[in-house]
Amino acid sequence: MKKYFYVIENALLNLSKNKGRNFLQGAMIFAVITTTVIALSIHNTSVTLISEYKAHFGSEVSISPERMPSNLPGITAEQALAFSQSEYLRDFEVSEPDDSSEAVDAVFYLKSPELLEAFAAEVRGKGLPDGYKVDIDRDAYARMVTPLEGLQDISFTFLLIVLALGAAIMVLLSVIAVRERKYEIGVLRAMGMKKRKLAMGLGVEIIAITCVCYLFGMIAGWLLSQPISDALLTGQQSAELMNAVAAQPLTSVKISVSPLTALEIFGVAILLASIAGIISVRQVTKYEPIKILMERN
Amino acid sequence: MKCLELADVYYRYEGSADYVLKGITASFESGKVYTIIGESGAGKSTLLSLISGLDVCTEGDVYYEGKSLRKLDRDDYRAKSVGVIFQGYNLLTNFTAVYNITLSMSISESEITDRQAKKEAAYALLDNMGVDRETADRKILYLSGGEQQRVGIARALSHNPDVIIADEPTGNLDAETEGAVLNIFTRLAHEDGKCVIIVTHSENVTAIADEVIGIRAGKLLSGTEYRASLPCHVSYPSQENLETKIKENEQ
Ligand SMILES: Nc1ncnc2c1ncn2[C@@H]1O[C@H](COP(=O)(O)OP(=O)(O)OP(=O)(O)O)[C@@H](O)[C@H]1O
Ligand SMILES: [Mg+2]
Repeated sequence: MKKYFYVIENALLNLSKNKGRNFLQGAMIFAVITTTVIALSIHNTSVTLISEYKAHFGSEVSISPERMPSNLPGITAEQALAFSQSEYLRDFEVSEPDDSSEAVDAVFYLKSPELLEAFAAEVRGKGLPDGYKVDIDRDAYARMVTPLEGLQDISFTFLLIVLALGAAIMVLLSVIAVRERKYEIGVLRAMGMKKRKLAMGLGVEIIAITCVCYLFGMIAGWLLSQPISDALLTGQQSAELMNAVAAQPLTSVKISVSPLTALEIFGVAILLASIAGIISVRQVTKYEPIKILMERN
Repeated sequence: MKCLELADVYYRYEGSADYVLKGITASFESGKVYTIIGESGAGKSTLLSLISGLDVCTEGDVYYEGKSLRKLDRDDYRAKSVGVIFQGYNLLTNFTAVYNITLSMSISESEITDRQAKKEAAYALLDNMGVDRETADRKILYLSGGEQQRVGIARALSHNPDVIIADEPTGNLDAETEGAVLNIFTRLAHEDGKCVIIVTHSENVTAIADEVIGIRAGKLLSGTEYRASLPCHVSYPSQENLETKIKENEQ
């Protein structure tokens, strides 16, 4: 291990030299990390919320006449009680009947949204006549979930673009960096430094830059993702939807950077570092010292 | 003792059709100073790059202590067995002179492992070359050509190699420093038993040689053409000249 100590020392010393180049590379990683934090945390938050909302609104079933206005009466308390005796439900609520009629407002809570059809079939089996629909509150569902799904799509596309662009730029930067350092590499190789150690040195440099940029990128991304999410959500909510539903629409999602998100982004950082590292190492192993030094002389 | 041998060495640069070296056979012993002379473009630096294991010959073989450089770990060979002083110095320009030396020691896995001791040894080596501490702590970028050359020499000697290979090592030095450097080379060969091979255009350098090797257009010069190419005072290792040299010494 001690034999490798100087390689690490040399790599860290190299960081303080060539500030311009390192800054450029660092800024690139920083930008990618920041945008990834934003995209990923928005994405993850919307995924979580969607599943929560789906579970909530998707399992809130009511039974009502198919076409409104209708002369069909609402279901009776008796019916409601019969329907509520179901394996598929976790709970139900029935209001007091009106004075004028037998009809009640009943809400059935499914154990999970997928059980809707099974429950509907069961209810029909128990004698619910045609002309009634067994369904969730589609309006509320759309109001809550649609903008989130839009957000999820946007952030995912954005994430892919950032990653592809980031990877491409990292490749470019690494190629340029190694070219720029060809002479230095030639000198080290001429002095007898092995390719493996040279590669290790370059790796240490890239990892050091990446770690610092990861930290700063996380902080910047965390600060920026909330305002950006708010702006996106506002854009997602179409005017029609706002008019269609009088109820309070979704204007804000609390964005959080979960440990999982942080880990995913660390994965992204490692991916970027690996790309840069692999490119550098490939370049280094391609060069023979004599050729580099001859070019110079 | 035979240290290095060239056996019918041919070399051609990649992508170029002509051979730069055309069938060179020679041997170098420990404890001697060799100079290689020849016109610009004759192939001297190319020859050194093969001897120093920076490249391998296209045909033929270079042997170090009887082992082909093709089969040796040439990184280790460069790091430990040879010290090369390049025509263009080839120092790390962004680092200090002393760092260039200690890095070379680290690469060669020198027995000095303590940081401070390493640094002191580097300062001492540089001091030997007439580079004081203040200069040694400066970046190579801010050193004069002559100073860089001396740092290059110090680096080549820093890991105590068996073979010292120098390409125009005194080209940028004043007469006084050149004398000091040549003294060091002579001492390294004659007292420490190193094999010293120097490419030079300078008559002062050929003067210290135990053997002079002439090269023209990629071939060794021999006999009369070889002698004609030498400066008149140079002692070359043929029998008749050895005799005249002895006579001169006796007078
Ligand atoms: N990378 C290269 N590719 C092709 N040809 C080369 C290359 N490097 C050198 N040469 C050619 O090889 C020949 C020998 O070059 P070399 O550098 O060995 O000469 P030299 O004897 O050291 O000359 P000088 O005294 O000027 O240093 C020259 O003709 C040169 O043009
Ligand atoms: Mg030359």
